[in-house]
Amino acid sequence: MRHVFAIASRELQSLFVSPVAYSVMTLFAVLAGFFFLSGVLQFQEYVIRLQAFQMTEQLGELNLNDHVIAPFLHVMSVVMLFLIPGITMGLFAAEKSNGTQELLLTSPITIWELVLGKFLAAAAFVALLVALLAVFPALLFLFGDPEIGKTLAGLGALLLVGLVYAAIGAFASSVTQSQLIAFFLAFVLLLVLWMLGFLADLGAADGAMASDTVGNLLRWLSTAEHFESMVMGLVETKDLVYFAVLTMGFLVLTKTTVESVRWR
Amino acid sequence: MIEARGLSKRYGDLVALHDVSFSVQPGEVVGFLGPNGAGKTTTMRILTGFLPPTDGVAAIDGHDIFSDPLAARRAIGYLPESPPLYPEMSVEGYLAYVAKLKDVPRSARSKAVDSALDRCGLGDVRRRVIGALSKGYRQRVGLAQAIVHDPPVMILDEPTVGLDPIQIREIRSLIGSLAGEGSARTVILSTHILPEVEAICRRVIIMNRGRKVVDAPLDELRQTGSLEEVFARATTREIVTEEVAS
Repeated sequence: MRHVFAIASRELQSLFVSPVAYSVMTLFAVLAGFFFLSGVLQFQEYVIRLQAFQMTEQLGELNLNDHVIAPFLHVMSVVMLFLIPGITMGLFAAEKSNGTQELLLTSPITIWELVLGKFLAAAAFVALLVALLAVFPALLFLFGDPEIGKTLAGLGALLLVGLVYAAIGAFASSVTQSQLIAFFLAFVLLLVLWMLGFLADLGAADGAMASDTVGNLLRWLSTAEHFESMVMGLVETKDLVYFAVLTMGFLVLTKTTVESVRWR
Repeated sequence: MIEARGLSKRYGDLVALHDVSFSVQPGEVVGFLGPNGAGKTTTMRILTGFLPPTDGVAAIDGHDIFSDPLAARRAIGYLPESPPLYPEMSVEGYLAYVAKLKDVPRSARSKAVDSALDRCGLGDVRRRVIGALSKGYRQRVGLAQAIVHDPPVMILDEPTVGLDPIQIREIRSLIGSLAGEGSARTVILSTHILPEVEAICRRVIIMNRGRKVVDAPLDELRQTGSLEEVFARATTREIVTEEVAS
C-alpha cells in the first residue's frame, strides 16, 4: 500500500509540474462556465416566455435540477470524454519512453501496486475536476432551491463516469509507448462506449437489429445510459455495479498488459 | 551472492541467450564483456527480474528470482543501459522516490538519500531538475539511484556509454570506490570497452552470441596475453567453429 501512495503522489507531482494538468483544468473550467451560463440564460428565457403566455401548468413543472443541472452535467460528461485521456495518456506510456519502466519493474513492488498507484493519481485528478464543477450548481443554491439529493447524485454520477474513463485511459496508456496514440486510443474507446446506446436505438429504428437482446446488451454497455438515469436522481444498484465492473475490468486489463512485458 | 544456472532466452527462433551459468561470490567485481548483441543486457535483465528466462534459474543473495522476486529485487541496485530518470523531478526528490520504492524505511530515508548524493558527488545539484543536468551528471544520478538502498548486489549495464573521457574516468573511479576493498558489495558490470574491465574488475566473463565463452580471473587471462587478444580469440573462435560445424 505504501508503494501505491508513493507512485500516485509522484504521478500527481509530475502532472502538476507539466502544463498538462493546468491546461486540462483551464479548458474544463472555461467550458463549464460557458455551458453553465448558457444553460441558466436559456432557463431564464424559457421562464419569461412561459410567464408571458401564462402557461402556469408548464411553469410548475419547470425546475432547476431537470432543466439546468442535469443538462449541464450531461454536457460536461461529454467534455470529460476528451479531457481525461489527456490526463491518463502519460500514465504508462511516459514510463516506457523514459526508460523508467525498467526501474519500476525491477523494484520490489507488485504490478498491482503500480497499476493502482497510477489509477489513484488519475482518480484524484478526476475528483478535483468534479469538485471544480460543483461550484456551478452550488451557485444555484444561492439564488434558487434545487434539490440537494438530486444534485449530489448527478455529481456522483459524473465522478463515477470519470473513474471509468480514467481506467480506460490507463489501459490505453499501457498498450503503447506513444502518448499521442494513448490519447486517441482512449478517446476512441470512450466515444464508442458512449455511443453504444445510440447505436442500439438506430438499430431498433431501422429494424436491422437481429433481436432485442443485442440492443439491450449494447444499451447496457453504454456509459451514457447509466449516467443518464443517475443524473436524473435515480441511484440504482445496477448502475453502481456497472461502473464498478467497468472500472475494475479495465484495471485488470491494464495490469495484464503491464505484466505482459515479462512474457515477451 | 549471484547464482545463475542454465539461463536461456529465446525470442521465437532467435536465441538471445543459450545455457549460461555462473556464480559470483560476495565482494567480487565481475566484468561482462562481449560485442554488441552478445547477450549481456539480456542476462542482466533476467537477473534483475525485468525479463523471465525461457529456461534456467537464478538466485540473488539466496532469493530465487521466481519464487521470491520481491526479496531478490530488494537486494539489487540496477543501472539499466539508459538511466531510468524522470526529467521533471529534482535530484533529491527522485532519489527519495526510489528509496520509497526500494523499501528503505521512512526513518532511514533522508539519510540514505544524503549518503547516495554524497557518494556520487551530487551534493551541489541536489535541488536541480534532472532534465537540466549534463549527461555525466545524469549518469551519476542513475548510479545514485542504484545504491540509494545500499544493496548487496549491483548490476550496471554499460555505465560509461556515451560519456566523454573525463566523465568516463569519474564514473569509473566512482564505481571503483563503491566496489572498493573492504565493501562486501558484489558488482556485475557490462561493457565493451576493454580498459574499463582492466581498471575495475578482478574477474571477466566474456559472452559471444548468447553463450559464455570465457570465465576467468583477470590475472589469469593476463598471463596468456593482453585482454584484447583474449577477447579477440574468444569472440572469433566461436564464430569459426560454428561455421565449420555448419
